[in-house]
Amino acid sequence: MSTPAAAARLRDRLTTASMVGPALLLFVVMLVVPVGLSIYLSLTDWNGYSANPAIVGLQNYLDLARSEEAIRAGWVTLLIAAVGTVLLSVLGLGFALLVNGASRLNAFFRVVLFYPHVLSALVVGFLWSAVLGTSGVVNGFLTSKGAEVLPFLSNPNWALASLIGVLVWAGFGVNVVLYLAGLQTVSRDLLEAARIDGASPRQTFLNVTLPALAPVVTVNLVLSLVTLLKTYDLVVSLTGGGPAGSTQTAAYLILWDSFHNNALGFGSAQSVVLMLVTAGLALTVARLRSRVDQGVKA
Amino acid sequence: MARSIGALAAIAILVGAAGCGGGFSDEGSAGGPTGEVRMLVNITPNLTKGYWEELVKPFEEANPGVDVKIEAPTGQGVKDTLPQLLAAGNAPDVVETLMADKTLAPQMLELTDQAWTKDTPLVEQAALDSKVYTVGVGQQAQSLVFYNKEAFAKAGISEPPKNLDELTAAMGKLKTAGYLPLQTAGDYVTGLQLLQLSDPSIATKHPDWYQQVNSKQLSVGQTMLPLLQRYESWIENGYVDKNALGLDDVNAQTSFLTGKSAMYIMGSWFVRTAESQKPTFDLGVFAAPTEAGQPYPGPQGVTMAAPYMVLKSTKQRDLAVKLVEWLVSDQEAVQSQLAQDGNFRKGFTDKLTPLGKQVQDILDQAPKHVAQGEGYGANTLPQGFNGEWNKAVQSLYTGKSAPDVAKRIDSWMGSKS
Amino acid sequence: MSVIRLPRVKTEVVRPKPVRLKGGGRIAFLVVTSVLMLVPMYLLVVSAFKSQQDILTHPFSLSPDLLTTEYLQKAWTNPDFNIGKGYAVTALFVVSVNILSVALAGPVSYVIARRTERRYRVLLLLFVAGTFIPSQVLVIPVVYTLKFLGLMGTIPGFVLFETTLTLPFSIFLYAGYIMTIPASLDEAAAVDGAGKHRIFWSIVFPLMKPAVVTMVILNTFSVWNDFVNPQIILGPGSGLYTVTTGVYAAVSQYSTDYTVVFPTLLLAVAPLLVIFVLLQRHVISGLTAGATKG
Repeated sequence: MSTPAAAARLRDRLTTASMVGPALLLFVVMLVVPVGLSIYLSLTDWNGYSANPAIVGLQNYLDLARSEEAIRAGWVTLLIAAVGTVLLSVLGLGFALLVNGASRLNAFFRVVLFYPHVLSALVVGFLWSAVLGTSGVVNGFLTSKGAEVLPFLSNPNWALASLIGVLVWAGFGVNVVLYLAGLQTVSRDLLEAARIDGASPRQTFLNVTLPALAPVVTVNLVLSLVTLLKTYDLVVSLTGGGPAGSTQTAAYLILWDSFHNNALGFGSAQSVVLMLVTAGLALTVARLRSRVDQGVKA
Repeated sequence: MARSIGALAAIAILVGAAGCGGGFSDEGSAGGPTGEVRMLVNITPNLTKGYWEELVKPFEEANPGVDVKIEAPTGQGVKDTLPQLLAAGNAPDVVETLMADKTLAPQMLELTDQAWTKDTPLVEQAALDSKVYTVGVGQQAQSLVFYNKEAFAKAGISEPPKNLDELTAAMGKLKTAGYLPLQTAGDYVTGLQLLQLSDPSIATKHPDWYQQVNSKQLSVGQTMLPLLQRYESWIENGYVDKNALGLDDVNAQTSFLTGKSAMYIMGSWFVRTAESQKPTFDLGVFAAPTEAGQPYPGPQGVTMAAPYMVLKSTKQRDLAVKLVEWLVSDQEAVQSQLAQDGNFRKGFTDKLTPLGKQVQDILDQAPKHVAQGEGYGANTLPQGFNGEWNKAVQSLYTGKSAPDVAKRIDSWMGSKS
Repeated sequence: MSVIRLPRVKTEVVRPKPVRLKGGGRIAFLVVTSVLMLVPMYLLVVSAFKSQQDILTHPFSLSPDLLTTEYLQKAWTNPDFNIGKGYAVTALFVVSVNILSVALAGPVSYVIARRTERRYRVLLLLFVAGTFIPSQVLVIPVVYTLKFLGLMGTIPGFVLFETTLTLPFSIFLYAGYIMTIPASLDEAAAVDGAGKHRIFWSIVFPLMKPAVVTMVILNTFSVWNDFVNPQIILGPGSGLYTVTTGVYAAVSQYSTDYTVVFPTLLLAVAPLLVIFVLLQRHVISGLTAGATKG
């Protein structure tokens, strides 16, 4: 009696395993193991060449806590992520509302807003440095008109603003598309009902559209945040981390320390911290948002 | 499940530890008379992949069955790429551009008993504890100031400044004459120029600067402070462009070669770039000035051009050594490399251009040739110094003072010992 | 800026009838934005036809006597970077990664979506945690792992790693999407005696097409534009390069010769851009379709 049931259960388990197994195996081998390796390397003094790196315990983490440069890179990364996430979400939603609708003109605008995503960050950074550099297009124009040069890439604050600006320029098309998708899910009936009830457009937006968009907002926030915390390619091609190292992000500094300073152990410690911070922030945002969602529904 | 994730992580770490423990203790072998030799090279506008392939062709023709495979770096340069290739167990046989230091030397083949190395430039200076790992094709002069003779004439400067006070004074006159006195740029240029400028005066004042810095009798920041303060005053007076950090090296070269700025501090490789762009003004060059009271010309910063090393792990040791010997000794190969990248070597002066001749004279007249920045051989600073110095110097443009910069570089030096 | 306009625009949300030029301010604003969006592209195109000097001194000029196709031809025949080959290799990677990604992420998402046990929640969390990993800082560990498996510098090694990077978000999106597909459908099929694999591929999978399309589009862009990973995993020894790493090799950080840079970049991005513009309706609606439910 129990044997066929047990056999069925076994078969069920094997089937499940065959569906989960390949993806899980690949994930563990290609991502979990390298992360484990990173943790191990972060406990050593490895310089990238020596055959037998010595275990130094938590020394790299202590150095990290004392490194002004690494702490600064951490703050720069957080600033980029925070400001960038807000801008991407606001512009994404704003433009989604502006180009929502089936006209040809809107289709054109959607393409124009989205196309930078087709270009790699490397190409984007390169193009913008030709536009914003001291002898770039904008400044060439200003000089020819006898005006002062603007320090887009040569002043630390401007350079950081330029970096964020270009990140947003290149990325917000994706947010527009995601919000456009969200707008399709807003119930027509509810909107119509609100209108008939005499709700002002603002009230309708706040009370009907926005709550319906809540899940899309969460996805947007988390995606933007996670992507921006990894910013690397654009730093390489737009500012090279400069001026004076003021636009070095965490990912940039990790690769710099690992290979230019031959401090792979120290670089690995920074990687581990970056991963933990990213996970922590993303989960916090997701949790806060889900509380907001529930609050809205209640 | 949480427990199994913990177990996964533990396994991952163990696998990792086992993976790394292997290290690169590969001893390599002599190899046969034919086969493939892989060479990792630096790629620049002057030194394209096509150039390198042309360069080694005569070697391949003279050695039938030998194929020299030129490999361009994949990372941000040779320095990033080599450790990645070593980790991948896919190391090249020969590497160009890097010089042996304490970190790299254990991976490299010792060439001390190869007789031909004796005749290569800077070989003794680059040796580590008198062991030769790195051989080069020629020399690069570093402490050079290229200048626009027309601008100098207009500003009423009759001869190039010999000391730094005269240099500052000349800048004032050039500015009055409507020129940007000194061209600089962001990227790597800012820090490099100041190092190049510092070589003569620092080496005069502290002949054993590297040793004293490494034994902590001197600090980099303190010895560089006067020059940093001077540079700070140049920024304040508009002798350099306060927005220069938004330029790259090409922007800077263009600006100088189109006559907008009067001086450009750069190494001898700039000779080739400058001549290929045919500036409309008369271009001159003088050795970097010294401090007032020091003899002029002072010691010249000199680095090895096209340094080559053979990796210890090579399976084609004999061929790789033969290739490197040919690259640094064969008349035509040497001549080609010198011309291609604006480098210099004794006995190879016939084909120099007029500007090249002037640089050769500066090299000949310098009382001493000295290392610069990270340096080589017995005169080295920790890996990464040049990059950190560059960032520190750039911060003069972003509101930091000269003492701040000195402190920043000293604190970095402190963290490296 | 856009916030001010929300009230008026919102009415268009209610009735998305074709917008006539009545929102003149809206159109003007969008036109200005479009110009801002297109300026770098314009520069890229015109600079590909100019000399170094003219790029630096007359960047915007379209004067015919400045323009030449000389540099474009040179870029096309660059011995260091065969653009045609780069395209072929990259396209091969894109196709392989997409197929493998769907084949692996699909079934596991189905299990996660249908099973209620806690451990499957944890499994989902584990996968989603993968999105927090910045792959470019894992260079050396990944190199070691691939070397250990004998896959370093090989096409399978690169495809497998790149596929792994697509898994976290794919599984997140697919699992969410499958949850919106009524389980009664597959229960009915189970009664008919179909196995789990069959049920997934023949019943659930066709229904989740919008989510798959979305992921395929996203993954295509990310594989196509990835820079650090192909550069390191394929390495200089393999002789393989994607469009992006090929551009970098041809342009390289040292090479600031704009007559090489701009034509190469133009050749590298033009075909993909043309394809995107031709297919834009499908790409954008494809992206929106899958994201709607997930």
